[in-house]
Amino acid sequence: MATSRKVTLLSSDGESFEVEQSVAVESITIKDSIEEGSAGNPIPVPKVNSKILAKVIEYCKKHVESAKAEDRVDDEDLVAWDADFVKVDQATLFDLIRAANFLNIKSLLDLTCQTVADMIKGKTPEEKRKTFTIRNDFTPEEEEEVRRENQWAFE
Amino acid sequence: MASLESLTEDLLVRIYKGLASDGDRKSWRLVCRDFHRIDALTRSSLRVLRVEFLRSLLANYPRLDTLDLSVCPRIDDGAVAVLLTSRGSPWAFPRAASSSLSPPGRDPLAWTRGLRKLVLSRSTGLGHHGLEQVIRACAYLESVDVSHCCGFGDREAAALSCGARLREVKMDKCLGVTDVGLAKIAVGCGRLEKVSLKWCMEIGDLGVDLLCNKCVDLKFLDLSYLKVTNDSLRSIGSLPKLEVLALVGCSLIDDTGLQFLGGGCPLLRVIDMSRCNGISSCGLISVAKGHEDLVQLNASYSLTECSSILLRCFKDLKNLNAIKIDGARVSDSAFKALSNCTSLVEIGLGKCIGATNLGLMRLVSGCVNLRVLDLTCCHSITDAAIFAISDSCRNLTCLKLESCNMITEKSLYYLGSFCLLLEELDLTDCGGINDTGLEYLSNCLELSCLKLALCPTISDKGLGHIASKCRKICEIDLYRCNGIGDDALAALSSGCKKLRRLNLSYCSDVTDRGMEYLGQLEELWDLEMRSLFNVTGVGLMALAAGCKRLADLDMKYCENVDDSGFWALAYYARNLRQINLSHCNISNMGLCMVMSNLTRLQEAKLVHLNKVTVEGFELALRTCWVRIKKVKLLAALRFKLSSDVRETLHSRGCKIRWD
Repeated sequence: MATSRKVTLLSSDGESFEVEQSVAVESITIKDSIEEGSAGNPIPVPKVNSKILAKVIEYCKKHVESAKAEDRVDDEDLVAWDADFVKVDQATLFDLIRAANFLNIKSLLDLTCQTVADMIKGKTPEEKRKTFTIRNDFTPEEEEEVRRENQWAFE
Repeated sequence: MASLESLTEDLLVRIYKGLASDGDRKSWRLVCRDFHRIDALTRSSLRVLRVEFLRSLLANYPRLDTLDLSVCPRIDDGAVAVLLTSRGSPWAFPRAASSSLSPPGRDPLAWTRGLRKLVLSRSTGLGHHGLEQVIRACAYLESVDVSHCCGFGDREAAALSCGARLREVKMDKCLGVTDVGLAKIAVGCGRLEKVSLKWCMEIGDLGVDLLCNKCVDLKFLDLSYLKVTNDSLRSIGSLPKLEVLALVGCSLIDDTGLQFLGGGCPLLRVIDMSRCNGISSCGLISVAKGHEDLVQLNASYSLTECSSILLRCFKDLKNLNAIKIDGARVSDSAFKALSNCTSLVEIGLGKCIGATNLGLMRLVSGCVNLRVLDLTCCHSITDAAIFAISDSCRNLTCLKLESCNMITEKSLYYLGSFCLLLEELDLTDCGGINDTGLEYLSNCLELSCLKLALCPTISDKGLGHIASKCRKICEIDLYRCNGIGDDALAALSSGCKKLRRLNLSYCSDVTDRGMEYLGQLEELWDLEMRSLFNVTGVGLMALAAGCKRLADLDMKYCENVDDSGFWALAYYARNLRQINLSHCNISNMGLCMVMSNLTRLQEAKLVHLNKVTVEGFELALRTCWVRIKKVKLLAALRFKLSSDVRETLHSRGCKIRWD
């Protein structure tokens, strides 16, 4: 029975995580390498450190479990769980985005990107820059041009 | 490092796509050069407001698939010619120097290859030459909308026929197009799937026949108000893929024609035959019997009577979602037959003679999935019917009860208890409702559109209840609600931040204080405030300064507003598109300021401006004649205005109505 098979994932900083195969294959990247047979055991996951890998595994576990449950009521609980899951500091959030992208976990990628979008909604450009420590590299003339376009040019 | 920039570009694009509002996307592109570039590469649809920016916008947004120029003034052959020159620097337009933000060497005409949809509705200044140029340049164009370009005729139709890849053409109200023009389009655009020709009165059976012969892929056809006969229906019957057919107001069609339809168009799902006086139940039966998969049937104001055979036919239509038989006489057995169609989601029974409480109770006992119910002018229904409706149809989203004057606050209690998904409620002229009723209604938190016109018994208190709980309200109609005053507006301004449309006409208790509250509603877009005697220039100033998005303003008879208000309007209300200043005390100078400063203004009603002289009108019209599209003036002015002004307006496609 494939469901009880376990695989081991190795983070970039050398820590191993043993997980059910059904959880690991939430990541298309890992699924592909298992199917191709090119993954050794343990499967190395470069670019993702242990802290982030632990979180990703937690996410995949929760989603696999709730897909098994027959109750539709769980949908609302899952949304609430997801909302709690992304209540982390910014650095972790960006690392999660990169990890979800590398591991090709669409639902996690959508969730984290939307979280960042929601964080910057309603903020002025200066506030956006402050939140994410971005430098304003427009020249004054360029900035004026963009501002004017915003106000008058289009919708 | 918690830097957003450390994410790769495709991840930033994903985040950008999570921003739904226009304001957020505009704020994004101001953050830094990388973000500006992401906006430029991802934005796919643009609605341009001013022609000076057009060329640089098109050069900087290479991935556009939709371009909307319907609200952009001064779109004419000259503008098109400039847009399509491939030379690098667009110095023709003074403001738009080639942007230092776009990389050099980018082909300024790349946009023509990506464009799929072009909206030129109301672009009355465009001629057939310019239209042909742009159609030919955008070789992959699939959809074009030239509706309401009333001067368009066969030459413009010929220009459209150059678009061989066109799948969708909207030509509503292109009054000059005849069968000849339609034939050209039919021959040139063989791939057409969606054609709309509402009000193109010169088109007849010949053109329709050719269209059906040449464009066999047609899925959607709108021939409303045309003088087509049964022969057209014979041709239409041969279309194998037709799914949606609209024939509103086609008075020359009768049951014989409908029989042709009954035998053809195997995929027909939606048919609108409202206001066709020639048809009867018999014709509809042939349509219903021939199309078991029919989803929507609209026969409003076409039938005098709904025969029992017709009603029994409906039972066989398993997918029937919506049926409208407004204006017909209905019996209780009719309601019983309809109640068997449990798939019905929308029913129109406006002005139906014979609509009783008992009938409705029978109807909703079967049609529990009802979301939209129109009972306009069903005078004999009472609270008992509303109880039955609310109890059975818990998913109700839209209920129209105009002129149902026996309805009391009890009905609103039922709605507020059972129909919590209600979004739209029309209680126009329902004399029986009051503030208590509105308090009950405020439990419907999804309410977005509420019509309370001609309800003198409601006051600020009732509206306060609604405003405090129903945060999703976008539209409120309080026409002639004498009990409404400034306090209602105070409640609206704090509770209903999403309000876009408001009608306060004849609510004469409203003063400048109320206007100040309105100024806090940033989303307000359409305001009708006729005959508010207590509003002065101060009030108008507060309104204009606060409601930056105001596009439609009707202030007819607001006689106490002085020039200070109009100056403020001219300065602040930059998004104004339509204005009615009739019977206002605006001066020559005020009118000139308004017409010249508001560069987005397209329609103006300027009747009975007693302080404006002929010279004043001349000057005002001269400042805006390049962009104004519709203007209403006193008939007496016709012979006093110089021919110069009238001819220029006419040649720019502007329509003058003489009152």
